[in-house]
Amino acid sequence: MDTPTRRATSSIDPALLASIVKGDQQAFGQLYDHSSTLLYTLAFRILGNRDEAAELLQDVYLEVWRKVARYDIGRGTPIAWLITLTRSRAIDRLRARAVRGQNATLQLDEAVSSGVADLGPSPYETQADQELRIAVGNAITGLPPAQQQAIELAYYEGLSHVEIAARLNQPLGTVKTRIKLGMSKLRESLRRSWEQGDIG
Amino acid sequence: MTHDELEEAVPLYAAGALDRVERQALEAHLLSGCQSCRTALKDYQSVASLLPFGLSPTQAPRALKSKVMAARNPDPIAIDNLLKESGRPSLEPGEWMNHLFPPIAPARSLSLPWAAGVASVLLVSLAGYVFWTYSTRLSDDAMKIQQLEATVADQSTKIAMLKRDLSFRDRSLADLQIEMQRKANDATEIKSQLLDREVELETTREQLNAAMRGKVPQDEFAALLRRPDAKVVSLAASDVAKGASGVLLYNPVTQKVWLYSANLPECPTGTAYQLWAIDQRPVSVGTFHIDAGEMAHLLVKRLPEFEKARKFAVSLEPAGGRPQPTGPIYLAGQRPS
Repeated sequence: MDTPTRRATSSIDPALLASIVKGDQQAFGQLYDHSSTLLYTLAFRILGNRDEAAELLQDVYLEVWRKVARYDIGRGTPIAWLITLTRSRAIDRLRARAVRGQNATLQLDEAVSSGVADLGPSPYETQADQELRIAVGNAITGLPPAQQQAIELAYYEGLSHVEIAARLNQPLGTVKTRIKLGMSKLRESLRRSWEQGDIG
Repeated sequence: MTHDELEEAVPLYAAGALDRVERQALEAHLLSGCQSCRTALKDYQSVASLLPFGLSPTQAPRALKSKVMAARNPDPIAIDNLLKESGRPSLEPGEWMNHLFPPIAPARSLSLPWAAGVASVLLVSLAGYVFWTYSTRLSDDAMKIQQLEATVADQSTKIAMLKRDLSFRDRSLADLQIEMQRKANDATEIKSQLLDREVELETTREQLNAAMRGKVPQDEFAALLRRPDAKVVSLAASDVAKGASGVLLYNPVTQKVWLYSANLPECPTGTAYQLWAIDQRPVSVGTFHIDAGEMAHLLVKRLPEFEKARKFAVSLEPAGGRPQPTGPIYLAGQRPS
């Protein structure tokens, strides 16, 4: 799976998806190889359970296989589409779990930390992915902790700003401002990294 | 929601922090074609989709790939079949753009074996005129069905958009109703204040009339002079007011005192005469002013406590009077026992 010709997850070629639309199974296998680590990491971060993350990923890839024709490059990169789909399905599952009355925190089979990467190298990623991970990690850790926390509660736990305000016992306006400022700072800092050539 | 509020909601939308109603309001706004919000959303969605890249990578289980590959259906669903799938009642998170940019149908897959195509061409040519007529009709029907299905899909999309638009307007209407109620409350408040003012005005007018009546007391004064029970206190001038004199009359029925003063000196600017009724301590009865050339002055005030007072005096005080006498005494007299 980690072949020397492996593409960075962040730059999956849209042509790969076009091939899958035509039923190209090899292309589908390549898409899996290029994206599964990131999507599994995301699913695991949201669900906090390895088996459930694997189950979810299987559903996601089947949905991708069935509905790949829906992908439109005008709406974003292939990986952005896959991330949106994975996040959305994982949050659905998280909510369904909450409705069933299971306490999400008791389901963790191991500690899932704040979601910020340790910045050491990983044997499973390309250099471009590693650079991107470091740039995004730095952008996130560069935020004030309260802004980081509010964005992570929204993005990884699927909480609305009202729910976040209740969870943190903070005024609604404060939570909204934290998310707005945090997203805006992330945008600026990632834009800077992009311009300096750290990522791209 | 105003445009500014909607624009502010864009980063929250991208982070997934809006609740359903807010999300739908923003989606309706985006569908209405606001370019600046669309651009901002694209920016923030790019940021949001980069967030997972910051996580420490966790490798998926090795067996997962073979499971995924084995569980697939034989073929991906073609785009026109996707469009025919039963429409969901609302947008999935982040999928609003489906409605803005409906996916373009790709060229059909050339997956049918070429030989089968040739065979079917041969079959058709062998079928003859009757079969040709029949198949033409079938193909017409299929086309019509396809057109109808496309129309239904199109209408469903329009209905969904209209529903969203309607819910957006419902919210605007509710906001307007709240605003209207607030304005109505304000109007009621102002009306009530106006009524208060009218009452105050009426009271002031009555007081003014009473004061005016006080200044034209001839009839009442004449009646007082005829009353056998009228009390009279004579006030004598002090050294500072040589030549001045005063007389105080009291009507026990109206409980008014009448101070008639003569030859008091003119009040210097910023001063006034003040009449005091004195029992244990002096109590102010009222003030009056003597202008240049004014020889006599009549002051009329209610004084129910007249009987309690033993002495009366007039002093010169700063304009408006003082709670206790501070200036020189000009007139003074004692009530006959």
